[in-house]
Amino acid sequence: MKKVPIYIIVAVITFAIGYNVNARYFSNRRPVQPIAFSHKIHAGDNDIPCLYCHIYANKSRVAGVPSVQRCMGCHKVIKTDSPKIQKLTHYWESGEPIPWIKVHNLPDHVYFTHKRHVKAGVECQSCHGDVEEMDVIARVASLKMGWCLRCHMNEEVKNGKDCWTCHK
Amino acid sequence: MLNRRDFLKLIGLGGVSTGAGFVLKEAMEPPVAKLIPYLVPPEDTVPGVANWYAGLCTQCSAGCGVITKTMEGRAKKIEGNPLHPINRGKLCARGQAGLQVLYNPDRVKGPLKRVGKRGEGEFREVSWEEGLSILSGNLKDLTNRNEAGKLYLLTSALRGHLTSLLVSFMDSFGSSNYFQYELFNNSNLIYANSVTIGSGAIPDYDIANTRLLLSFGADFMGTWLSPVRYARSYGDMRQGRPGVRGRFVQIEPRLSMTGASADEWVPVRPGTEGILALSIAYLIVEERHYRGADAKRWMDMLKRYNPDEVAGEIDISVRKIGELAEEFVEGGPSLAIGGDNLASYDNGIGNLVAVNVLNYLAGSIGHKGGVLLNGKDKTFKRKSVPYAQLTKLGDSALEGDIETLILYNTNPLFTAPSGMKLGASLENIPLIVSLSSFMDETTGMADLILPAHTSLEDWGDDFADHGAGYSVATVMQPAVSPVFDTKGVGDVFLALAASLGPGFKKDFPWRSFGDFLKDAWKKIYRRNRGSGIKERSFEDFWSRLLAAGGWWTPSPKISGAVNLSVGKASSHIPSAAAGFDGDSDKFPFFLTVYSHSAFLDGRGANLPWLQEMPDPMTSVVWGTWVEMNPKTARHLSLKEGDMIRVESPYGEIHAPLYLYPGIRPDTVAVPIGQGHTSYGRYAKERGDNPLAILPPRVDTRTGALALNSTRVRVFKSTRSGKLVKMEGSARELGRGIVQTVSNKEFKKMGKEA
Repeated sequence: MKKVPIYIIVAVITFAIGYNVNARYFSNRRPVQPIAFSHKIHAGDNDIPCLYCHIYANKSRVAGVPSVQRCMGCHKVIKTDSPKIQKLTHYWESGEPIPWIKVHNLPDHVYFTHKRHVKAGVECQSCHGDVEEMDVIARVASLKMGWCLRCHMNEEVKNGKDCWTCHK
Repeated sequence: MLNRRDFLKLIGLGGVSTGAGFVLKEAMEPPVAKLIPYLVPPEDTVPGVANWYAGLCTQCSAGCGVITKTMEGRAKKIEGNPLHPINRGKLCARGQAGLQVLYNPDRVKGPLKRVGKRGEGEFREVSWEEGLSILSGNLKDLTNRNEAGKLYLLTSALRGHLTSLLVSFMDSFGSSNYFQYELFNNSNLIYANSVTIGSGAIPDYDIANTRLLLSFGADFMGTWLSPVRYARSYGDMRQGRPGVRGRFVQIEPRLSMTGASADEWVPVRPGTEGILALSIAYLIVEERHYRGADAKRWMDMLKRYNPDEVAGEIDISVRKIGELAEEFVEGGPSLAIGGDNLASYDNGIGNLVAVNVLNYLAGSIGHKGGVLLNGKDKTFKRKSVPYAQLTKLGDSALEGDIETLILYNTNPLFTAPSGMKLGASLENIPLIVSLSSFMDETTGMADLILPAHTSLEDWGDDFADHGAGYSVATVMQPAVSPVFDTKGVGDVFLALAASLGPGFKKDFPWRSFGDFLKDAWKKIYRRNRGSGIKERSFEDFWSRLLAAGGWWTPSPKISGAVNLSVGKASSHIPSAAAGFDGDSDKFPFFLTVYSHSAFLDGRGANLPWLQEMPDPMTSVVWGTWVEMNPKTARHLSLKEGDMIRVESPYGEIHAPLYLYPGIRPDTVAVPIGQGHTSYGRYAKERGDNPLAILPPRVDTRTGALALNSTRVRVFKSTRSGKLVKMEGSARELGRGIVQTVSNKEFKKMGKEA
């Protein structure tokens, strides 16, 4: 029975390996998107404002994924020789929307609205991270209730601790 | 130290726990969701933000305005239009359930052509081109054979510009046979008003401002005329004026939902309501509360309604009649209204005239808190809609006068008494085309089904008869794109017109019914009759009209005095109580059938929300029931929930018994609406249809069906069935749940406090 510690050590280490492999390579924190879109090129290098593509962020609950039409507005002429753009053109021509994978996904029992946060002057980056430096979009915040509340309490948001503000 | 065995064990353990770690992390993550963008974003749509479109409720003929909440192009909720003067932002359950009309899984999803035998319900899907070409081919044949008059059209009591289009289509085609039919129609009321107070229009009853309301059988909070409007007025009557609480007495053999809100229920013998009204009128004249020059002549005419003589027949005490008369004249304004039950006897018109006489003698016509007369709307010629229209249609069918019948928004096989044998008559028609969106009983007989849009998908407008003390027009616009492969009714007729040759097409140049409607409203814009919307250009007017949901002129017009002569009244008032089929020895009970507050004439039975909504008086869901007084039931040794057979001279129905203290011991009541043989999964084979056992008895002056005109007998049925109700017991069993004080005690308490 003196080998029990070894068994435990091996089990713990391999468990941690399994957990981290999932978190790093299989997590939807940074999923593999149908088109390898780079926020760094768009929002960083070219300085396109967030609201240029996410047009509903200041009007609605949802920020809105840009319509395929909006992508094509530029990419009819820009970088048409890139295979990624050709993939985009293919979607456009076959009349199919791009099936992006959701990175920031809130459960149904949470009521969250972009509009209020944008109107209150919260920077997009304070929740989404430095998107303009990401080649592959990744979630930086946990989106757990504690994380929400930390900000609501620090900023002394009116009714920010009320259950009904987010759970209605 | 580590032998081969242990090494393998460790490898195994390591593998398993790596997997466990992986799976645990996986389980902690929310499931992968896709984020699908628009290909091309629609205009005016912001995902997550609702768009509201104003429209018209078509679940009954009250003409309420609605607003429909749509998100990302889907209708989510219907509410009352807060700007609309008829319902002022409120909406009843039927209106709310309009959403389930749109999304009903039993809708006819595209044009169908019959393949099996007629009535067997076997259809094949066809395209709109094919469907329309079958019908237009048939119509061309009729024209070539010079038999254009053999095209018949039957619709519900449509109002508004759709009727104009249908009328002009039929005129251009050369057929005068456009019929309208509605089970619950106001033809008796219109007739009674036109012979007494000289207005063929339906007046507006100013319930909100009256001090005493005598309602003779009118279920004005459930189904009568404009229930949302009058329920609101009722609230205003009770609580809308500081210090004044209007008193309300309901006179009917079976306590309706409206009756349950009354201060007092007067359960008169069925068919004697009009006599009671005249008896009260007699006392008013006798006590010299009527000061007209012709008081003496009224006195002579009303003499035979002296309470001492008729109280026995009405079955209430002479003293009670005296009290009602006293209340009616003291401290007006007071108002008597009559409808539903009262109008549905074979002396219905007489009863309604009697109510008008009472209002006239008490000076309640044309005054605040009384009957406000509406002028006759000259924009549209109203069609006559009573039951007689249906008998005419049936007779023509039997004589072979109908080659082609087009049906829209009507289900006569369900709403006509089976004694009429309409089904057999329809068999004689070579081509029946239904434009119904649902496979109802009559549509099941059709050879071709060209399904129409529902009201959330189509254009339209409506001009409610009763108005809101002034004229009200409501506009309907598509709130969502069509859910299925359907077309607007107007569009179907415009497409037919286009296919009938250039001569025909010339008269109908519009590309769609929406264009037709817009053109028609240009005329109203040009007339600009003191409209609530004033704009410089028509386009601005039109967009504001659609945004507001209609057009109305909030300037209450109190019409002038009315002169009712004794002669006019005396030729129409009831000389006797209503007649009932069936010998009173063999058939001891009066049968009262009434419109279910959710299903109306049966049209709401396919909507699950309405099926599961407990009836307000009995709490019964999902079925038909028979109401009987507990005393009578004890006498017959029947108990609640027993399946019983109700037999009239014309047939029998089976339904479970509900013991209802709010009904006279000599009367049984059954709600209308259930008992469909088709009409979708929610309506089919549920309950029984009491219309099937009614005699085809009509008031000959209008041809309106007398719904309450038969006696019945009841037996225990051999069939099995359950009474499904929400309530445990209707009695409070001494628990003091509902504590009450009488009106007089209440007044005394007020003084002491």
